[in-house]
Amino acid sequence: MWRRICTINSFLVLFGFAGAGLAYDVIEVETGATITGKVAFTGTLPHTPRRFEVLNGPEICGAERVLTKLEVHDGMVKGVVIALEGVERGKPFPSYRETATGRGRGVFNYAGGTALNLGVRLETCSFGPFTGVIRADETVQFINHDPIKHTLHTYSLKGHKAKILRTMHTQSLRAQGQTQKVFPAKKLRRASAVVLTCDRHDFMENWLYMVKNPYYAISDESGSFEIGHVPPGTYDLVAWHPVLGMQKQRVTVTPDGRLPVDFGFMK
Amino acid sequence: MNGVLTPVKPGIIFALFFFCMAWTGTQGVHAALLDGLLDDVEESLAEGLTQKGEKLTTGNFYTDDKPNSHAPIGMMGDHTHEAGEVMFSYRLMHMFMKGNRYGTDRLTTADVTRPGQPVPSGYLIAPESMRMRMHMFGFMYGLNDTVTLTLMVPYLSNSMDHVTRMGGKFTTRSEGFGDIRFGSLWRLWAVEAPSIGAHRFHFNLSLSVPTGSIEPTDRTPLGPNSRLPYPMHLGSGTFDFYPGITYGGEMGHASWGIQAIGTLRAGTNSNDFSKGDAYTINAFGAYEVIENTLSSSIRLSWNHWEAYDGMDPAIRTNHPMNGMRIVQTAFPDLLGGQRLDILFGVNVLFPDFMGLENRLAMEGGFPVYQYLDGQLETDSVVTFGWQAVY
Repeated sequence: MWRRICTINSFLVLFGFAGAGLAYDVIEVETGATITGKVAFTGTLPHTPRRFEVLNGPEICGAERVLTKLEVHDGMVKGVVIALEGVERGKPFPSYRETATGRGRGVFNYAGGTALNLGVRLETCSFGPFTGVIRADETVQFINHDPIKHTLHTYSLKGHKAKILRTMHTQSLRAQGQTQKVFPAKKLRRASAVVLTCDRHDFMENWLYMVKNPYYAISDESGSFEIGHVPPGTYDLVAWHPVLGMQKQRVTVTPDGRLPVDFGFMK
Repeated sequence: MNGVLTPVKPGIIFALFFFCMAWTGTQGVHAALLDGLLDDVEESLAEGLTQKGEKLTTGNFYTDDKPNSHAPIGMMGDHTHEAGEVMFSYRLMHMFMKGNRYGTDRLTTADVTRPGQPVPSGYLIAPESMRMRMHMFGFMYGLNDTVTLTLMVPYLSNSMDHVTRMGGKFTTRSEGFGDIRFGSLWRLWAVEAPSIGAHRFHFNLSLSVPTGSIEPTDRTPLGPNSRLPYPMHLGSGTFDFYPGITYGGEMGHASWGIQAIGTLRAGTNSNDFSKGDAYTINAFGAYEVIENTLSSSIRLSWNHWEAYDGMDPAIRTNHPMNGMRIVQTAFPDLLGGQRLDILFGVNVLFPDFMGLENRLAMEGGFPVYQYLDGQLETDSVVTFGWQAVY
């Protein structure tokens, strides 16, 4: 057993954090194209909002919280991650903030630049919007702005049919505490997404899709998305949602072109 | 099996133990040890769960905020902690022993002191009863996603009542710190899903250092400052190694667990003896009676301990004048035995207070079977405890 532990650790130290998976170069994109579209849903909603009575820190979180995993407005889906796969060089990662809607005010802060640089600001018992993105081998900073303890528990979604949630980290985050976590590509293996949860608050659940480049968007309340400055070429365009699953389309973009692509989920 | 570690230098074990701890802390192992090695098993489990619309969760060692997510208070090393989490605990354990037993037969003090008889009789003095009170101050810290470190500092207070062949009575006492125990819990594997519950396995690995006295003295018929026999000692005098494995499960309001722990003595102490190796198997079941507040438990605890090796030359076995055997507790070869206890417990979980998750618990029980090589038999064991997680 000791030998195995030593071997695993030596391997991690020597190779694990060497920056594998960061193969994206930022360059000037002069004739970039734009992909726009909408994500629609038809059928019976596979998820209804779930209510939780708050036992730990109701004075901060509220006495009752609701976890809404799927938002559909007039047949259009909010929170679907649209990601272009196979782009190895192009525009820099964007810099922006996304704040949760509803009772929780958690924020995903993407510093951008040559990397995604995600920071998670926990506030009012919330990590941030229900969906977001994450990149392997990057350090993610978690800051707890609540005056109560949260127990951060991250999972990767693995398995042939994404049916296994595998623990990545656990960390006690005391009031006003912070921590940094790396999500190594070697540990993520075939994972498509990372889940953030708090073991003390079951309603705190957020899903981050694994991206390798800045060519992604998250659909808004009208189901619309737009990805700009795409270098001309042929790529796979993925639409992913934790409840609805994944769809993929092969797309070809031309210099300065505008490509409409819609996705439709059915249940 | 007694003394399986005897050929190993205690210093080597001690150095290895701390090397592993330090190395783990600096290198940062961040997963259960079997993580990634049981993919096929997990895939197979997940396949079945998919048909029920469930996902399989692996590596989740977090114990829910339920009173029975901790084992009965008398069982130690039952759960691990999340990285950065700290737990302080205090336990007070009372063990009460009365009457003598040889094998499974009870002996009266008259049986023990009957003159001119072979073992188990023929002693000048018979122990009548013993009370052991142990205060245990504990600390646990989640070092990372693999290792939880533990520390336990015991403080013991023993007293033993005796009766002489002539009918005289006297009591001896010993008190002080016992052997300080440094430990670690290594997460092995965990799976859970709503329909199969949670199943968690971890390794227990601890080491005690000989800080407890093996030379307690008190007034006895042999003199005012006589060295007391072995059961009154506060420590073992040796570095002791405690390897073990623990399984815990939860589903709905129920929880259960099994733990097997060994106590292996490394070498012989400075007084030329070593306590016998010991083995314990615990199995418990618990049920949450009042949601998020109160649970009750039942536990079976099997204990097997070997007789001592060697003997302390300063503990007299035979009277200097007439050569008669003095008291059975002075004979190290009579200190082995086996015992099966049944214990009933209650755990109470309080709402968070100043960021602390507080628990109070009590467990008490008695042996349903004991086989002793000629010693005082156990009548009851009661443990009270407080745990605070920060």
